Amino acid sequence: MTKETILEVRKQFEEALNRAKDPASLEKVKHEFLGRKGKVAGLFSMMGDIPPESRKEMGKMLNKLKDDLSEAVALRSEAFASGKERAKRIDYSLPGYAVHRGSQHPLTRAVDDMLSIFERLGFDIAYGPEVETDWYNFESLNFPPNHPARDMQDTFYTEGGGVLRTHTSPVQTRYMSSHEPPVRIVAPGRVYRNEAISARSYCLFHQIEGLYVDENITFADLKGTIELFCRLYYGKDVKIRFRGSYFPFTEPSAEIDVSCFLCGGKGCPVCKQTGWLEIMGCGMVDPNVLKAVGYDHEKYSGYAFGLGVERMVMMRLGIHDIRILFENDVEFLRQF
Amino acid sequence: MIVSTDWLKEYIDIDMPLDELADKLTVAGIECVLKETGKRIPEGVVVGRVLEKAAHPNADKLSVCKVDDGSGETLNIVCGAPNVEAGQRVPLARPGTRFTPDFELKKVKLRGVESEGMICAEDELGLGEDHTGIIVLPDDYEIGRPYNEYFSSGTVLDIDVTANRPDIMSHWGVARMVSAVTGAAFRKAPVDLHEHGPDIHDIAEVHIENTEACPRYSARVVRNVQIAPSPEWMQERLEAVGLRPVNNVVDAANYVLMETGHPLHTFDHDKLEGNTIRVRFAEKDEKFVTLDHKERVLSEDVLLICDAQDPVALAGIMGGTETEVDENTRNVLIESAYFAPGVIRRGSKQQQLSTDASKRFERGADPNEALEYARDRLAALIADLGGGEVAKGAIDVYPEPVEPKKVSLRLDHVKRITGIEISPEDCRATLSRLGFTILHEDERSLQVEVPTFRPDVEREIDLVEEVAMNHIERIPSMSRMTISVPEAYDRFHPYVTGIRNFFIGHGFHEAVNNSLTGEEAAEKGIWGYPPLKVMNPLSVEMNVLRTDMLQPLIGSLQSNAAKKRSSIRLFELANVIEKNDYSETRAEEHYNLGVLCSSPLWGLNWAEEDKAAGIFYLKGILHHFLDDLGFHYKLNENRNRDEFEILYDIVVRKSVVGKIGQYNEGHFEKLQLKYPVAVMELQAGKLYKWYSPEKKYTPPSPYPSIFRDMSLVMDKKVKAAAILNEINQHGGKYLVDCVLYDMYIDDKKLGDDKKALSFRLEFRSDTQTLQDKMVDNVMEKLFKQIKHQYGAQLR
Ligand SMILES: [Zn+2]
Repeated sequence: MTKETILEVRKQFEEALNRAKDPASLEKVKHEFLGRKGKVAGLFSMMGDIPPESRKEMGKMLNKLKDDLSEAVALRSEAFASGKERAKRIDYSLPGYAVHRGSQHPLTRAVDDMLSIFERLGFDIAYGPEVETDWYNFESLNFPPNHPARDMQDTFYTEGGGVLRTHTSPVQTRYMSSHEPPVRIVAPGRVYRNEAISARSYCLFHQIEGLYVDENITFADLKGTIELFCRLYYGKDVKIRFRGSYFPFTEPSAEIDVSCFLCGGKGCPVCKQTGWLEIMGCGMVDPNVLKAVGYDHEKYSGYAFGLGVERMVMMRLGIHDIRILFENDVEFLRQF
Repeated sequence: MIVSTDWLKEYIDIDMPLDELADKLTVAGIECVLKETGKRIPEGVVVGRVLEKAAHPNADKLSVCKVDDGSGETLNIVCGAPNVEAGQRVPLARPGTRFTPDFELKKVKLRGVESEGMICAEDELGLGEDHTGIIVLPDDYEIGRPYNEYFSSGTVLDIDVTANRPDIMSHWGVARMVSAVTGAAFRKAPVDLHEHGPDIHDIAEVHIENTEACPRYSARVVRNVQIAPSPEWMQERLEAVGLRPVNNVVDAANYVLMETGHPLHTFDHDKLEGNTIRVRFAEKDEKFVTLDHKERVLSEDVLLICDAQDPVALAGIMGGTETEVDENTRNVLIESAYFAPGVIRRGSKQQQLSTDASKRFERGADPNEALEYARDRLAALIADLGGGEVAKGAIDVYPEPVEPKKVSLRLDHVKRITGIEISPEDCRATLSRLGFTILHEDERSLQVEVPTFRPDVEREIDLVEEVAMNHIERIPSMSRMTISVPEAYDRFHPYVTGIRNFFIGHGFHEAVNNSLTGEEAAEKGIWGYPPLKVMNPLSVEMNVLRTDMLQPLIGSLQSNAAKKRSSIRLFELANVIEKNDYSETRAEEHYNLGVLCSSPLWGLNWAEEDKAAGIFYLKGILHHFLDDLGFHYKLNENRNRDEFEILYDIVVRKSVVGKIGQYNEGHFEKLQLKYPVAVMELQAGKLYKWYSPEKKYTPPSPYPSIFRDMSLVMDKKVKAAAILNEINQHGGKYLVDCVLYDMYIDDKKLGDDKKALSFRLEFRSDTQTLQDKMVDNVMEKLFKQIKHQYGAQLR
């Protein structure tokens, strides 16, 4: 027996201990090394062969080995004891890892929420380009050239004669140009207005357009659909008001107000004391629009609506400056 | 458009509370808010009388007045106005008067003399800008009476006029709408016209060169007018609707404009050269000074009113200084004309000048009844207010009268659009209250004549709207809905939602950036697309459309870094625009995903060291992402961009669909970022075309896997990807996975040109339990192959 033999046993023990993942295997390890016929006892039995001059030193080493091994087994055995006891040994109050948490932008979230309502009502989703032709953005929607209605929307023009779409309404005529009735779609997307950037307006915003054209579609169907949407989006107690308005591409046209959910209709600064919040425009598709896409306007009728997402989000979240929605400050984004 | 309710009552009886009326009008399509006017004088200001005025003992410019405030008390007031005199009635602010929420008048000592209030000047009461002296009130003002009571406390309707309704820009138009919603009858003010003296045709003439631009020009002359301020009632009404009184002639013209909606112009007849009016288009670069004292350079689009020699007005927009009515005017020529809407619109746009007149003409004025009524009404008013006399007759050049349109309305069509039956009686009542004439009626339809003040009504559907808007509350909400099922439902939105959720799940915040950017940023775009310019940008920083997702995300990185946000993980889904001359709009849109990451791998915590989530993290994300979508991909190093430490083209199906890389450490030096900036951009729209959400199931193998580790030492310059590739190619059919789990560099132990890579290989068969021996054979072959190819040795 040499020092190396002792070290070897120690190493073997450590490996065996590491493999012992439960009390039963620990018991085996204990038996293998510290039992009456165990490896440590085996070493002690070889003490007789040690030359007297190194016997004292070897004895010390062997005793230390026995103590260490016993302590390690005791410790591990305790660790296998109840969780409560283990908790005393490890500080489980240490915080968890700082896992990154992502978030959806409130604008796309609102779009998704609204789309999912319309999808439940059987609307399909359609898309259109952001750089549009004058025909789709204006003419097909019954905005004649040089008509004051064009002043309703400050337009960005792009080189080569395109426009940055001022609304999602061109998706109506694009979709109808390539589909036969019935059509029943909602179209989300970015739209642009050439307005100075301020707390209240930004040069782009998001809209959701809706369109349903079929035989026998009336303003009453429009009212029913919009009321259902508002109840699902704002809650069942919301009050809805339709009031006459003007859009070149619908006739009759209406604006839709919902009772202000901040003051309950009593009047507050957000609703400008009216108790109503304007949320979308709508109307019956103008016969000129149906004509523009080659539909028979005596056979088919339909409704269309369009809503501004930023307005809805700002009202809901209590945001007063629209620009924060486009700044992408992570301290803002992480709140959603 | 502001309408005074008091003035409105001249044309219609209003029996309901005004706020209720405002609501009814709003619902019927005339969006309006009821507002109080008057009551602008702060409480505490009363009519006072100056009893005595004495010099201030300590100040030359101040005086000390004793003022009676009507309560029996006499107030001692220090006043600085030069025009204060004993005996005057004046607006007196007593101590306690609150001028603003923060300013309450108190007794003060001024240069040693106590002042118990203030005698007010115009500006102090918000009545004007004059501060040269105090207001002196008429002698019939009652001492002690609150000054406010001398102001008409009216209410006005503030109306948001839609672009299609020029008729609403007048009290008449609003009165007709009130008639439609309440049923009360609309009436006009009677015109009391007395003609005297010469026939107008002997003292004036009118020639129209282009009757398409000016279909009708009518005029009257009023002679021997005394120019004076207009009477108080007229001034009050004009002020209530936001107009500033000038003199009796100008005020009367504005009054009739606001009454009827028909714009009029008055010329000083004596200043019209040759007593002639000529209507023609301007010559190119012709110059003209308008009433606002601006010299204007005209284009051929601008229609002019001229006298025998020179222009005297921009037709339908604004008059000129030369022929303006002023205090010396004696004879007035009244213009009541009709100009083509498009002509006025072009002129107004070209001159960037929008006036009360141009706004009405460009939307469409009434060429018939309102034009005539307004002309005669104004002549009568001027004669009445200015003591003049109206010359006999009127000039009226109207070669081709505009005929009212006739439109028929089928009652079943009303139902087809509104969904409800509206009785013929209700249709008739609504339309006639709005000024339409019913020419013929049977049980199925109405034949309707559209008044010429409603140029927006041309078609049957327009009549449906008139009827529907006044019955909008009666239309029920259909609770039974019909659904039309499309041939196939959209799958793009779910695809995008999947992408979004993937990145949110990996701890990225979704960003929304402006699509408009500056040329400099657009030219740096990662795809090298030529940018599409905006012709009328808001600013040079927003004069093109973005050409990639990364530049705007870098903008977000900069603004976040400026606020010391330390973990910046953003993604965005949107269109980028490539200028493409073959597209109709010269734009090709690419729906892309942009990702930017400058963050630690974990948030700072006690267990892990602070490591950056750099390019290797993002490569892991990319792998997982494309794997999820079912795409195989390759990364090809791209050395064309100096700002990147490493940049790869992401290749799917042999085409470049994305970029992934990490910027040079020094590139964002100024931002003092804690972590390197790794980015990627993928053409999500293009990938969608190849993407199939359909997945097929493969039965998982019931047999256990066998793992083998292999540590290899090789030259440093050998790429890890090459070895991985080698293993995957030659690992045999049972190799299911290979992970590079360790890289070891130790110049002393391995040599300074060597590195050690460790791989863990997983083998499995679908049909049998693999034997160690089979796997060992594969491992041996693999090692030989790598040794042969790359000179690698086992470690
Ligand atoms: Zn409110």
